[in-house]
Amino acid sequence: MTRDELNAHRLVKEAQETELRAFTRRHFLKESAMGLGAVAMGALLGSCGLGGKTASDILYDPVHPLLPKAPPLLGKAKSVIYLHMAGAPSQLELFDFKPELMKMDGQDCPQSLLAGKKFAFITGVPKMLGPQAKFAQHGDSRAWVSDNLPHFSTMVDDVSFLKAVHTDQFNHAPAQLLIHTGSARLGRPSMGSWATYGLGTENQNLPGFVVLTSGGSFPDAGKSIWGSGFLPSVYQGVQCRSEGDPVLFIKDPHGMSRDLRKASIDAINASNEQEYTAYNDPEILSRISQYEMAYRMQISAPEVMNINDEPQYIHDMYGTQPGKSCFANNVLLARKLVEKGVRYVQLFDWGWDAHGDGPNNSLNIGLKNKCRSIDKPITALLLDLKQRGLLDETLVVWGGEFGRTPMMENRNGVQNPYNGRDHHTDAFTIWMAGGGIKKGYTHGETDEIGYSGISGKVDAFDIQATILNQLGFDHEKFTYPFQGRPFRLTDVGGKIIHDIIA
Amino acid sequence: MILLSIPEFIGRFHPILVHLPIGILLLGCLFQLLTINPKFLGVRPAVPLIYLLGGLGAVFSSVSGYLLSQSGDYDGNMVDIHQWLGISVSIISLSVYAMYRKQASEGSLNIVAVILIVLISVTGHYGGSLTHGSDYITSALKDDGKGKAAIPPVANVQQAMAYTHMIQPLLQNRCYSCHGADKQKGKLRLDGKDFIFKGGEDGKALVPGSAEESELIKRLLLPSSNDDHMPPKEKPQLTPEEIALLQWWVQQGADFNKKVQDLKQSEKDKALLLSFQTGEAKKENKQSDIPTAEVSKADNAALEKLKQAGVVVIPALGSSNYLTASFVTAKADVEVLKLLEPLKKQLIWLNLANTALDDKGMETIAKLENLIRINLSRTKVTDKGLTWLKSINHLQYVNLVGTKVTAKGVQELKPLKELNSIYLYQSGVTKADEALLKKIFAKASLDFGGYVVPTLEKDTTEVK
Repeated sequence: MTRDELNAHRLVKEAQETELRAFTRRHFLKESAMGLGAVAMGALLGSCGLGGKTASDILYDPVHPLLPKAPPLLGKAKSVIYLHMAGAPSQLELFDFKPELMKMDGQDCPQSLLAGKKFAFITGVPKMLGPQAKFAQHGDSRAWVSDNLPHFSTMVDDVSFLKAVHTDQFNHAPAQLLIHTGSARLGRPSMGSWATYGLGTENQNLPGFVVLTSGGSFPDAGKSIWGSGFLPSVYQGVQCRSEGDPVLFIKDPHGMSRDLRKASIDAINASNEQEYTAYNDPEILSRISQYEMAYRMQISAPEVMNINDEPQYIHDMYGTQPGKSCFANNVLLARKLVEKGVRYVQLFDWGWDAHGDGPNNSLNIGLKNKCRSIDKPITALLLDLKQRGLLDETLVVWGGEFGRTPMMENRNGVQNPYNGRDHHTDAFTIWMAGGGIKKGYTHGETDEIGYSGISGKVDAFDIQATILNQLGFDHEKFTYPFQGRPFRLTDVGGKIIHDIIA
Repeated sequence: MILLSIPEFIGRFHPILVHLPIGILLLGCLFQLLTINPKFLGVRPAVPLIYLLGGLGAVFSSVSGYLLSQSGDYDGNMVDIHQWLGISVSIISLSVYAMYRKQASEGSLNIVAVILIVLISVTGHYGGSLTHGSDYITSALKDDGKGKAAIPPVANVQQAMAYTHMIQPLLQNRCYSCHGADKQKGKLRLDGKDFIFKGGEDGKALVPGSAEESELIKRLLLPSSNDDHMPPKEKPQLTPEEIALLQWWVQQGADFNKKVQDLKQSEKDKALLLSFQTGEAKKENKQSDIPTAEVSKADNAALEKLKQAGVVVIPALGSSNYLTASFVTAKADVEVLKLLEPLKKQLIWLNLANTALDDKGMETIAKLENLIRINLSRTKVTDKGLTWLKSINHLQYVNLVGTKVTAKGVQELKPLKELNSIYLYQSGVTKADEALLKKIFAKASLDFGGYVVPTLEKDTTEVK
């Protein structure tokens, strides 16, 4: 020890001793009394679900924000692939077979169904509209699927249907936000952000939460449905393109070598580290680790995001269209990403809003074409995950943001030119498969015209609670402190749908 | 809703009102006893007034208590004791006030103060027992069965007596405290066949053969925010299975003498009933994803070395010492695999997919005795390496997708009794071998993959 070090050591010791001397018997008694009170207070507040939540409960390590973490409970699913059909597919043309509705086809809608209800476009008295597809029961589970999904109908014995999902939002953007963020308003973290915040991700060379869109347009709710809200921004969904470079500007510019890139990142990081020593702001460490991840991603992302190296029979299975941007390509990509350890893959396919105001928005043309574009890919995804032994640990969810009315839409009181249905909040179908979900099961039932659920009703919070449960979280305890109170994905709602858990 | 009569309404204030005289009188006694020390003589003049106020409070409490006891919701015997004790407290406290007026000796005043303290405590205890149940305080010390099943698991559910072994214990643990011998809220008793059929003040509790019409079931199913929901929301609730069991029992006629097997059951009911059977029976159909035995914490140094090598090692769940390891960003060289050895007790899931793992590396894997799941897909493992897995007794999941292993190698895994999923897509197993393997592993699910989604005309055309 040098003289300086010795002096420093003595100074520290002296300071510690002085501090100890300042503690007298009176301090002890005072502290004990106050301490007991504080302990009691803590216990009381704890039972209210408050207190207890302190900064140390934040699972955020700014240097390694995405490092994999163990879930608090034993999770069945390691990853999630969420297939969202933006625009809301009609349950009455896909899964919810209503022969009674067929009989009422063309009749005026009874007043009892309209009283006190709000619709996005229907005004006055619309006509009832029978199912615009042929239905049959499939598989050992005898689940109804229409001829719009001939491939998927072979998969019903691997799937749990939720037939009586309901929501309280009848416009696309708020309904999508509610399903993915737990609030119809902007600003809450999306489910994928919660998942990566709580679990991190296995592959540090790839983002933990990837978003892929198809159908020619973004979902109505915009990028907020994969936003990170009040969680650290590193947990927001990374939107990748399925055409061209997966991430814009991921390639080094012409003339810049890999070594030069590395050297420049090192230089930036060195200066950032100086900054950190000066200010101790953890966000700087976060920045450094993000630069390093970006550098690694330059190599790994194009490799994973490239579906061209998949064999031809896989392309045939999914019905991909290499070189184009389409749902099938995204689904194949989703499988590749999950295989590489990505935690949450969110797909949005736009164009399911079959109002009947034009041919592409009709049940007999537009919807049928949309179904054709997803039927093969979703079937292939389930089979491909299964044969790779990944379906057990990958939760696949398919659904829209709400359902569609059993009535034909009459916009402004005038019958639409094509067969179409308006937005409907009281009943729609979502299905889940893999990740510890029951196989060949149907939960919930709607009334005889598919207008509202009569048993097994579930809402967005119930679905979120179930997804979190499969990932290993108690949705009531998985919180993040923000603005002075702990926040949950499921707000104050959510019941785990135990009936569909294997 | 039935309106309460005014006396009963006043009576309901009794549990609130009583605390006032208790506090006041105890303070009076305390002040009186404090004056033994001359230092506290200053409080002496306030004592008679405190006793007077306390005594008047006690009288009010006694009146409201009497009105409450008329509702008949409480056990008669205990109410009587509590009532006379309460009345004596009122009388004594007022007489003490009189003693002060008569300037009785300090000694006798001190003695009466002590008697009063004892009397108030005893009265209060009986009152508490009436509202909260006589085992309220001690139940916090005992294992009160919260979180434990209300129905003790039965060895063979089909042989059990439906009422005696299942329904009665459930009612006893969840309902008797308010609807039993001690207390009959709403004039309803559930401890016995006659009482159950008699019903309460709102009419019949049970309609045998119709769960929908039975008030008992209806109240269980009300949302917990409803005032009529039973049990009251602050009490331990019935699980969905327990409610379903009651529904089934009522639906089948609410029989008190038959065995479970003699009552009608649908497939769903059978599964429900099975869930009340003891552990052994359940284990047969359900394997656990994590060993039940305790294990020590893994060595930190070993974990650190694996981390350096890029292996992702995390606990299977937050509170567990059991670990999962993934080589998704690591190389499966023999040196790296050797680092797993110190964790051989803790490792339960191992993912080596897409690594260059070969038969040599499998020798190290064989030492990981507690593995439950292993993913060897697209590795260089062959039949030779596969034989090493034979000694890992608890293996449930083996993924051999895209490896060179053949049916011969897979057969070697036959001794693994707990094996339930084997994935063999794109492996060396031929179509001809599939039937044979399915026979050998009759209990497990085997997946040979190679699924094809045929291209239909519809897939490539558009509706116009």
